[in-house]
Amino acid sequence: MTSETSPSVSGDEASDPKPSPEDQLASLALSETDGPASGSPRENNRHNEIESAEEEVQTNSAAPGLAVVENSGEAVRRGRIGGVLWARTNSEPEADGPESPSSSGYAGERGSSSASSAGSGIYEIAEVRDDEVVDGVSDSQAAWVPGKRHVDEDDASISWRKRKKHYFILSNSGKPIYSRHGDEHKLAGFSATLQAIISFVENGGDRVKLVRAGKHQVVFLVKGPIYLVCISCTEEPYESLRMQLELIYGQMLLILTKSVNRCFEKNPKFDMTPLLGGTDVVFSSLIHSFSWNPATFLHAYTCLPLAYATRQAAGAILQDVADSGVLFAILMCKHKVISLVGAQKASLHPDDILLLSNFVMASESFRTSESFSPICLPRYNPMAFLYAYVHYFDIDTYLMLLTTSSEAFYHLKDCRIRIEMVLLKSSVLSEIQRSMLDGGMRVEELPLDPLPRSGSFSPHLGQHTLPTDSPDGFRELYGGIGGPAGLWHFIYRSIFLDQYVSSEFSAPISSPRQQKRLYRAYQKLYASMHERGIGPHKTQFRRDENYVLLCWVTQDFELYAAFDPLADKALAIKTCNRVCQWVKDVENEIFLLGASPFSW
Amino acid sequence: MASRRRMLLKVIILGDSGVGKTSLMNQYVNRKFSNQYKATIGADFLTKEVQFEDRLFTLQIWDTAGQERFQSLGVAFYRGADCCVLVYDVNVMKSFDNLNNWREEFLIQASPSDPENFPFVVLGNKIDVDGGNSRVVSEKKAKAWCASKGNIPYFETSAKEGFNVDDAFQCIAKNALKNEPEEEIYLPDTIDVAGGGRQQRSTGCEC
Ligand SMILES: Nc1nc2c(ncn2[C@@H]2O[C@H](COP(=O)(O)OP(=O)(O)OP(=O)(O)O)[C@@H](O)[C@H]2O)c(=O)[nH]1
Ligand SMILES: [Mg+2]
Repeated sequence: MTSETSPSVSGDEASDPKPSPEDQLASLALSETDGPASGSPRENNRHNEIESAEEEVQTNSAAPGLAVVENSGEAVRRGRIGGVLWARTNSEPEADGPESPSSSGYAGERGSSSASSAGSGIYEIAEVRDDEVVDGVSDSQAAWVPGKRHVDEDDASISWRKRKKHYFILSNSGKPIYSRHGDEHKLAGFSATLQAIISFVENGGDRVKLVRAGKHQVVFLVKGPIYLVCISCTEEPYESLRMQLELIYGQMLLILTKSVNRCFEKNPKFDMTPLLGGTDVVFSSLIHSFSWNPATFLHAYTCLPLAYATRQAAGAILQDVADSGVLFAILMCKHKVISLVGAQKASLHPDDILLLSNFVMASESFRTSESFSPICLPRYNPMAFLYAYVHYFDIDTYLMLLTTSSEAFYHLKDCRIRIEMVLLKSSVLSEIQRSMLDGGMRVEELPLDPLPRSGSFSPHLGQHTLPTDSPDGFRELYGGIGGPAGLWHFIYRSIFLDQYVSSEFSAPISSPRQQKRLYRAYQKLYASMHERGIGPHKTQFRRDENYVLLCWVTQDFELYAAFDPLADKALAIKTCNRVCQWVKDVENEIFLLGASPFSW
Repeated sequence: MASRRRMLLKVIILGDSGVGKTSLMNQYVNRKFSNQYKATIGADFLTKEVQFEDRLFTLQIWDTAGQERFQSLGVAFYRGADCCVLVYDVNVMKSFDNLNNWREEFLIQASPSDPENFPFVVLGNKIDVDGGNSRVVSEKKAKAWCASKGNIPYFETSAKEGFNVDDAFQCIAKNALKNEPEEEIYLPDTIDVAGGGRQQRSTGCEC
């Protein structure tokens, strides 16, 4: 069991979709040329209907238990490796003494017992108790407290073991670099255990990617001398967890660049921890975004809705500045882009935008004054530092000017002053404030039928539509909750633009908890649509007790929509067509069009 | 990622099976000793916080298995060690003779940057047995060997009686610390865009 070179990703999907006879796909076609004409006709003509999407939890108690945690005395943290991975002996009949509370104080036994149903009780409690559940999910993030929590914990603490999701960064010599929960130093023994597992498998010319132990998945990612590990019982797909580790690694690169590798080459004992001093909040806020920000799995960014002219005005002044030797100029409001431009052929990857904005938003010091800081855009050039000038115009709106010169501070400051003047004069800043208040697309405002319009939408997206008398009759049926046909929420991702738009949350997806659940459902849907080896899925329709989820992927866009679990399939599909039409109608306002720095 | 600068030191304990590596560690960390022999499987990890000259640091102790069949684990385990502790049993000649192998194996596998000066500490354990009457390796002989290998510090210990164990680990910690390289400035590349593209200008990381 030492390694799974081909990870057994979720066994939930009925991965062999049969063409269903009552297929409604015909109605999926948009009235435009680009419909789902991509892909083979056969592919277009099938739905993957999955009635129960509930993920099966492996309860096989004979599952290879991997125990990397061992209890021990107060000042002592211990881990152990051996028994499970490459040998199993019974030559150790008793515990070390009173400090180890159970007689099965050994890794192998512990592991298999926590993987068995007998041990699952603990983790069930955890589901309820873990404060992750109440993490803020909305944009406001009000409920979420940045920074490291539970510093007093270590692998001997019951509470630590109950946490649903752990993330670790360690060096290939087993020195802890970051742990989401608990103090890194107290977890040194645990960290050593992780390294031993990874290195052991590596020595055999193999790679450990995933270990399943009961409800827990242990996902490994090796990046040269840096090891990243996620331990999760959230049932997220392996691919999603691995991507999260990739982003954490990217975040680390953003702070330090890949030059850290050279430090390890020179000195394997190299302790990276001091270099990351004070960046706890950056990692914890990134990890938090794994439960609310679709950008983390869509690899696309989202824009603040703005009138086309307003965004153009912002773009023009940024372009002006970019022409004066600024590599990238990015104006953002929270995690939403207002406008961005790049010099020459420089292109900015959505993941870099995510990591950069996370870094800026999480670091409190950027808010207090204008700042100049070295940062690295891992997708642009992981080896080198750029320099970021950051300035907040108001509590949410900030400007980032990136340059290659470490001496450019005063130049960038001048640029910012120019930008600020223009933004004030053309009232872009006040428009931003208004958009923040108004919000984005709401499912309740989905236009009834595609009307011939010419894209001039004001004062607010979709407000001109008739809010009542849905001919579908679903308003009455669902007590006026959500949009037509039981539409609760959608995310539309434009492949061409690398951008997505997400509808505002509204009843019944109103609590952070529900939002997070929907987020996870989308994430899973995304993973199943992009699973390698199974071929590109074009559509997916699945119904479970929580939602009807509909996904539609074409060459140009991906649509993810959540409906009432009782929603009618034909109507749901029809509604998706309308959503796509609506997005197209308002794309001027919800997306950043043209003048894009992306190179295609 | 504590902002306070606390150092973590990785310590590897090597030696033949049964010489008392696990017992020494248990004595040091838990103040416990058991007569029963429980062979270590693979490796065992313990951490202990130590105060030393007003500084707090963490010892990450890798207690490895002495048994032959685990020796292939070496490379994976030894990398990045700050100090290596070699243990033998003063009552077993073979365990002393093997110190040389352990040391060389370690230096090959861990390939430290400066092998000549890599900090080792040698412990001659079980000096309590039979009131010292069954002892076959003399202190003199052991010290001579240590001297020949670049003055490795040497301690005679008894894990059973806790004799000299704290002093030995104190020295281990001290040596691990000593080996810590000077801190240098972290200096990655910057990009020269004007030069067309992404050439790297500076010399890079100087740490
Ligand atoms: N009398 C005496 N016995 C000791 C001493 N140290 C260890 N022992 C005993 O020697 C046996 C082996 O000790 P361990 O500490 O398990 O040996 P080890 O080096 O860890 O062995 P492996 O894990 O197989 O590599 C045990 O029965 C211990 O009780 C000591 O200082 N004095
Ligand atoms: Mg042992």
